[in-house]
Amino acid sequence: MEMKGYNMPEDLYYEENHYWVKPEGDLLVMGMDDFAQRLAGEIVYVQLPEDGKEIKKGKKFAKVESGKWLGKVNGPVDGEIAAVNEELEENPGLINSDCYGKGWMFKIKPADPAQIEELIKGAAAIEAWLTADIEKYAS
Amino acid sequence: MEAKYDFARKYRKDILLCSRCGYCQAVCPCFGATLRPSLNARGKMLLLKEVMDGEIPLSDELIETLFQCTTCGACHENCPSGVDVPKIIKAARKDMVHIGSCHPAFTGMNKVLSEHTNIYAETDPADLDRERGRKAPYVYFVGCVGLYREEDATAAALALLDRLEVDFTLVDEVCCSGVLEDVGFNLNQNLTSKNVEAILATGAHTVITSCPYCFRTLNGKAEYAPLREAGVKILHISQFLADQDFNGVSTGKKVTYHDPCDLGRHCGIYEEPRATIRKFAPNFVEMEHHHAKSLCCGSGGGARGAYPKNSVAMAKNRLAEALATEADVLLTECGSCVHNLSNAKLRSQKIRIVNTVEFLNELLEDAD
Repeated sequence: MEMKGYNMPEDLYYEENHYWVKPEGDLLVMGMDDFAQRLAGEIVYVQLPEDGKEIKKGKKFAKVESGKWLGKVNGPVDGEIAAVNEELEENPGLINSDCYGKGWMFKIKPADPAQIEELIKGAAAIEAWLTADIEKYAS
Repeated sequence: MEAKYDFARKYRKDILLCSRCGYCQAVCPCFGATLRPSLNARGKMLLLKEVMDGEIPLSDELIETLFQCTTCGACHENCPSGVDVPKIIKAARKDMVHIGSCHPAFTGMNKVLSEHTNIYAETDPADLDRERGRKAPYVYFVGCVGLYREEDATAAALALLDRLEVDFTLVDEVCCSGVLEDVGFNLNQNLTSKNVEAILATGAHTVITSCPYCFRTLNGKAEYAPLREAGVKILHISQFLADQDFNGVSTGKKVTYHDPCDLGRHCGIYEEPRATIRKFAPNFVEMEHHHAKSLCCGSGGGARGAYPKNSVAMAKNRLAEALATEADVLLTECGSCVHNLSNAKLRSQKIRIVNTVEFLNELLEDAD
């Protein structure tokens, strides 16, 4: 969904630091959204944790870097890492070129699948949050 | 005819010394990562001669070639004619900035340092839980990389200095701002004077820093002359540790060492880090290129900020040499080198990349 010049699909859940989350069977897939990848610039490094690493909602479990910028990736829910996108090791720029597709970053096994409902969801909520962050970071 | 640009006034003869031999190409990290002749010293000298001769102007078209250089000095080291390419590049960058042609990352960096205390524009430095500004004989100057990127190495340095019973204090430091001169601007006098004031207020006779770039800046730039004039000695931590004893701690791991450009080629500090490493790592091996021939990690001269993909590609090339030694551990004395080399490392590559001080501190803690 085009929103204020950014591609922000409204069928996804969003973690407040601009990571999208999508249920896929028993797992959740997570990646960076279009607003964040454009603000970050050319991604050159993604920290890929080992499978099984415990993650906690709101706590940093990985980092992403471009140039001088370093972004912390916080857990959107409690759970553990089920898989990482190993393509990002050699080609972290996939996050820039296809952030919702080939640039997916992590697959998470949630401790409580219902916890995803605490994330930002729905066109109205996404637009309000995005508008505030455009004002804060991109204006 | 009067030279149009400052770089030509200062360095015309040097630029004309370039004999186009291409020896620089063999050691240039930018060329090694991209295979683009305009990015290595010979290409840059060719273009600057064209500018001097009035054939082409300094313009935005030259941003990519003039601002994509780590200023590592390998070209100068390898040049049979002795052309000091980094100096020429920095002067040309100043002229570029003067005419309004500058890489946006560097314009941005100058703006960031006019508004913030660090190059990252971040507001949450490492919590070092230490008093600042106390009267003490030593000051430990952390630097931006140590505060915002390599916090574990900083914590280790502080722990090690405690262990050696060094009476030191931190200060309310800000970015040394040395990098600005590399990328066409001047040191930020607001920042430099804050650092000078903070250090002098402690009464310290020596400043120790783990950052080779801060070391070069505090030790060599005119803005920090008041420190030197007050008799304050500036030391890189490797110089301080070379004379210390570490109670015979030792590792059986195979260790190699990467000479940071800012410590090695630019400051001539090669043996002190090795003197320390040999005390605790008897199984030490050199990489194929070491000492003055060391390959650059790719992060200097503003390259990491402006050309991050190529910067990490340069780091991959250097890491390949470390992997070829089959060392378990790659030590170095520069946080920026640790950071860039770590970004280049794949998960399948089992070499550990770590600051010498951090590794040594771990050995000492394990021995307790």
